[in-house]
Amino acid sequence: MENPNKSILEGIIFVFGEDGITLEQLSIAIDYPADLIKILLDELITHYKHDDRGMELVVFSDKYKFITKPYIRSYIERILTLSKTRSLSQSALETLAIIAYKQPITRIEIEEIRGVGCELMLKKLAAMDLITETGRAETVGKPILYSVTESFLDLFKLMSLDELPHLPNYEDSTEESQLFE
Amino acid sequence: MVRFQVDLDQFEGPLDLMLHLIKEKKLDLFNLEVDVLIDQYIDFIHGLETTQLEIASEYLVELATLIEYKSKKCLPVSDLGLDVADYEKDTKDELVRRLIEYQKFKDITQKLQVRFEERQLQMDKPSDSLYLNEIDDQYHYYESDVYELIKAMEKCIARFHLSHPSQVQFTKNEISLEDRMDQLYHMISADQMLYDFEDFIKDIGSLNLFIVSFLAILELVRQGILGIESVSDQKITLKLGEKYGKPE
Repeated sequence: MENPNKSILEGIIFVFGEDGITLEQLSIAIDYPADLIKILLDELITHYKHDDRGMELVVFSDKYKFITKPYIRSYIERILTLSKTRSLSQSALETLAIIAYKQPITRIEIEEIRGVGCELMLKKLAAMDLITETGRAETVGKPILYSVTESFLDLFKLMSLDELPHLPNYEDSTEESQLFE
Repeated sequence: MVRFQVDLDQFEGPLDLMLHLIKEKKLDLFNLEVDVLIDQYIDFIHGLETTQLEIASEYLVELATLIEYKSKKCLPVSDLGLDVADYEKDTKDELVRRLIEYQKFKDITQKLQVRFEERQLQMDKPSDSLYLNEIDDQYHYYESDVYELIKAMEKCIARFHLSHPSQVQFTKNEISLEDRMDQLYHMISADQMLYDFEDFIKDIGSLNLFIVSFLAILELVRQGILGIESVSDQKITLKLGEKYGKPE
């Protein structure tokens, strides 16, 4: 028989909507051990992956929530006026990537990798709530350190930064030949 | 000869430009002939100087570094020239290291872009604020900046749009008093009978039409085309008037 807790979890996650809810919160809500809840949630995730479901259960930034599958949007557009999908410029994406992989990181360090100034870009990204100041480096001038936010994880479908795709390692020679094809 | 049609705007910066040149000249990034790259880079920037008024300072800084490197190389290596050799090697290694590092992030950016674009198509529903009020109350007030306000505003606007389906349309079907008078006249003249006032107005869907109808009846009565009869139980009936004829 299905564990009744599973349907309760499903209902709770639904109500929390875009804000999502953490494993810990769920554990408190139904007074059930977190590791067992994790198993149930994994089952739910598999269940929703199936083609006959229009939503999927995701974990972004350690928060469980339901989002629609990508192909649903075109149907919704027929009945709702949706705001245009956001887009990020190449330089915004590059800056975000550098911060995500190197955080916490100062502006100077980012500029060194990109070879261009990015003060304005950092302000823009901060205003979009994709990066945030997370302290100051203990070096001369105590420069501001930047890190990515929860919104960043959500925007790039990541449970945590550990889920970032691996940076290619060309120095290990095996991948060299694939470069610049 | 085909004019070299490349614009600085299409590059993210000097490193991006160098990677482009490496790719175009089919150089090997890992066994880089730095001199070739430097020449290409210098030529490129010089080529632009005539057509583009402003070249971002980053490109020029990079250019200066490269020219310095090249000129040092031209100096005869003296007996004490160890420093120069070291400098050469360091500069070259540093440049290659930066190019490779930058290339890594360029590659990873493409992967992130795919994730980003997919996420853009996936929608979530706002949390049910009705139920979450209790949690909201626990939030502390804190110092905030204008960007917080912008974010909050954007969220509100997004929710507003979601709660207002585009299918809802407000159309005003207005009819002029004259047209309505004509309509009523035709109805009555076709049937030649008494109308119960309430029956007469019951199908009227909008306030606007109701008012126009009412004014039309008053006007028709005034012109004597329509008559009004009131009976004991306050029921009002419409009938043909004494001066029955087409309204003016």
